[in-house]
Amino acid sequence: MSAAIRDPGMREVVVVGRDAPLWLSACVMQYALGPAGVTVTVVELPPLAQPADVCITLPALEPLHTRLRIDEARLIAATRGAFSLGRHYVDSGGKAPPFFHAHGSNGSRIDEKEFLPHWLLARRQGLNSPFEEFSLTAAAARAGRMLLPDAAIDRFGFTDYAYHLPAIPYAAWLRQLALRRGVRNHWSSTLEVRLDAEGAIAELLLEGDRRVKGDFFLDVTGGEALLASAMGVGRESWRESFVADRVMSAHSAPVSPVPIYSEVRAHARGWVALAASQVCIHVSQAYCSDLAPGPADLAAAAGIPLQGMVVRERHPGRRLRAWEKNCVAVGEAACVFDPLHFLDLHAVQAGLVHLLPLFPVQSDFSVERDEYNRNVHSAFERMRDFQSAHYRLNRYGDSPFWARARGAALSAELTHKLDAFRARGETVDYEDEAFTIDDWQALFIGHGVVPESYDPAVDRTSPDLLKSELARILGFIRQKVDEQRSHSDYLRDLSRVSGA
Amino acid sequence: MQPSPLRIVIVGGGSAGWMCAAACAQVLHPARYSLTLIESDDIGTVGVGEATLPALQDFNKLLQIDEAQFMRETQGTFKLGIEFRGWKRPGESYVHPFGAFGQLWGGVEFQHFWLRARQLGLNPPPLDEFSCAVRACARNAFEFPDTHSVRSTFYGYAYHFDAGLYAEFLRDWATARGVARIEGQVVDVAQESTQGDIKSLTLKSGQQISGDFFIDCSGFRSLLLADKLGVPWEDWSPWLPCDRAWAVPCERSTDFTPYTRSTAQKGGWVWRIPLQHRTGNGHVFSTQFVGEDEARSTLLAGLDGKALGDPRLLKFRAGRRVQAWKRNCIAIGLASGFLEPLESTSIFLVQKAIQDMLRLLPSPEARGVDERVVREFNRRSDELYERIRDFLILHYTANDRIGEPLWDHVRHYELPESLRHKLRLFDVRGHVPYFKDGFFSRDSWLAVLFGQGLMPKAYDRLADFMPREQLDARLHDLHARVAAEVAAMPTHEEIVARYCSEPRFIPRVMTS
Repeated sequence: MSAAIRDPGMREVVVVGRDAPLWLSACVMQYALGPAGVTVTVVELPPLAQPADVCITLPALEPLHTRLRIDEARLIAATRGAFSLGRHYVDSGGKAPPFFHAHGSNGSRIDEKEFLPHWLLARRQGLNSPFEEFSLTAAAARAGRMLLPDAAIDRFGFTDYAYHLPAIPYAAWLRQLALRRGVRNHWSSTLEVRLDAEGAIAELLLEGDRRVKGDFFLDVTGGEALLASAMGVGRESWRESFVADRVMSAHSAPVSPVPIYSEVRAHARGWVALAASQVCIHVSQAYCSDLAPGPADLAAAAGIPLQGMVVRERHPGRRLRAWEKNCVAVGEAACVFDPLHFLDLHAVQAGLVHLLPLFPVQSDFSVERDEYNRNVHSAFERMRDFQSAHYRLNRYGDSPFWARARGAALSAELTHKLDAFRARGETVDYEDEAFTIDDWQALFIGHGVVPESYDPAVDRTSPDLLKSELARILGFIRQKVDEQRSHSDYLRDLSRVSGA
Repeated sequence: MQPSPLRIVIVGGGSAGWMCAAACAQVLHPARYSLTLIESDDIGTVGVGEATLPALQDFNKLLQIDEAQFMRETQGTFKLGIEFRGWKRPGESYVHPFGAFGQLWGGVEFQHFWLRARQLGLNPPPLDEFSCAVRACARNAFEFPDTHSVRSTFYGYAYHFDAGLYAEFLRDWATARGVARIEGQVVDVAQESTQGDIKSLTLKSGQQISGDFFIDCSGFRSLLLADKLGVPWEDWSPWLPCDRAWAVPCERSTDFTPYTRSTAQKGGWVWRIPLQHRTGNGHVFSTQFVGEDEARSTLLAGLDGKALGDPRLLKFRAGRRVQAWKRNCIAIGLASGFLEPLESTSIFLVQKAIQDMLRLLPSPEARGVDERVVREFNRRSDELYERIRDFLILHYTANDRIGEPLWDHVRHYELPESLRHKLRLFDVRGHVPYFKDGFFSRDSWLAVLFGQGLMPKAYDRLADFMPREQLDARLHDLHARVAAEVAAMPTHEEIVARYCSEPRFIPRVMTS
């Protein structure tokens, strides 16, 4: 096609790694750049995913799947995954009230003005209802209903959903898709990276003396970042900001009906997360090795019988440059997040989405590289801020784990965001946010940060109107939740549609 | 128990002051906030035909002002963009429209398909022929963007109007809604000794006005923020050297453009803003490169109608106060900073500051100013000023007017790093910046980058998904549809006459 008039520098992309992040990356590259004559080759390292592992996603994954022309019904049927409308945060010690972070808007506009300041105003007039009671998405989640928007819901606000996808079948599904669409693959249990004189990657040496050459490489090898490390790219540790350094994963028997949200329970030594799929309950526990709980403590904290326990180290931090020479580190290779919000797959997606419009068009790509590194750096920091806020604001008592978490340092951006919210309920919305204003509101208010003042525009809403509008919102929520199918019915109907 | 109302005092009655007063009167509860505006009949206001951005529609909607009435009262006309004449080199021109070039195809930006078509030798028509707004400008045509059947390419519109009449219109509007207007000149400002908050103002008449919160709309003088609170000035004249403007209205000509015209000159540029009853003109220039007398002659020689009065001279500097909000005082409009009106941003800056201020005003309960919200206001203000600054510099720096001292100077100076990086990204692959709040939009950047004659070396490979034949066919189809839609539009003159001038009976102020 147009190859003749363009520097043909970047034609062979090699994606190296394992598990779902590897195959998601391969699918995206093939889909977007295959038509431009780019060939995508995968070097597949032995998987590390265990049966207990689950990909807990953010709502942004669904539109990416749609772009990749992934059929949701078949995906859910094949992986026996489940939907999620949000997450419930609970304090096992009972010190802090629980809260729900739903994938949807908080409340609905009143008199064409925002909901939060109205809620703040209503509290001054004696309202006792918690903020989340006005979330349609949270209400559907608690009722175990799937929530699909219709015209009335679109007028009310927005609602979205994420997935719980068992990691092994999800990777297998993406792998099949990638291979069907023309991605070539090599399997290897060893990997040696050969650099050229400039320090760029020249070739990869695989088991059995096989060599793979390429023009451009994606490092999806996880936290070890085998390619980026071989190129000598340094790392910035976020250890000071996050207390947990171990994650134990396990699974437990499935429950019926399958809950449509995940739950995170704080306990004195860390936290336990429970996320349901149709296969099992996926359990993960985060803790700090210096404040060492034994395996028995861990099992007890979950409160349910566990199987297949695996413990992994977790060291949050960021590669100094995600894109170095002819290699882009994607996902954990670029940034390891604290385990709390399950951001790993979203980091993969963010890395790819930023890369596509900057994928090299000629052999000198320093401008694109600088732009990419700046953008993902900032995107990762805003994601990290969301996590930092959760730990900083915790009211989970004085155990060493949570006391230490409250003392962690905050970025200047987060400090300012928290200040502006506390003072006025104003959510500072930076350029590269992964989380929406509704997400931040749910997080801050969930942790008991109630703004000291509110947008004066809502003073114009009379107490009577305010009361009737709040009642209308609650009525709408009840009615809409009643109209929805249960999660279990929805999953059953999907599997029929998919023909599985 | 309700606290006593928070007393807001606005100093200055130009368009900034009255926009502020009107918005406050509309949004704030009268039992919780009291509003006073001080203006002096002796001090003239700046404003000789003002061009705006589409966002002004939101402001008028907030005030529930009828569009036709607003246009009648302010002698308003429609604006689809700005024509830049001679900015690249004499004899060439381009339009920066309020609208898109082409469409997204498969989520990929249009310029990449157009660049690819060029590289494939498909000889696509010029990029700006894929913009309804640009082609309407070429025909002096206007039609409201259609919300029912989608037009080939998206566009929006703004207005030209007489800012003095707008201020008068809003004055009536605001005073009818409880804003107290006091005529007088501020001669003294008293501060609280402890914190430095402003406490009261003394007028020439001796009258004292106390307040809790002060909005400085005093124009270039910046009576409160600069003079009293001593907020320093950040000078941007090394990048934007223009420091004077001559302004003069002239009789309306037959060339009734639905756009502003900006024509580059030896020492700056000349604006032309068509109103219903006359045409506003002005010459923005730099005294480093042209004398005042010569600039005056240039302006008068270029008028396309008889001058109505003598030109007035305005003096300014490019830059801004380093904090727009300090203590209990916010500066809005020229009191907070100045950027030459090359992209019609003056009123927009006022509007944006008002919107942010309204969300962040102190409450009557707390009264005191909260530094935490002040920082957020100033962060937004800084961000906006810097983005506009970079966009303005772009017009200057990418020129081919070789051998003219002003244009040689701006072509060679060192750019802010933020802009240099954007230029490189465009050069290597046609990549344009994207900002969440849409200001300036991708299409605005495209208009000026291509308009100033920059041409990317390559395009985004994501545009390769479309087969060559399909690309060719879709480009031709879109091009033809744009042409057909624009051909069906009435002229700007017809539509203004029909929409604005018909005598409908609408009370000037709709409250008793």
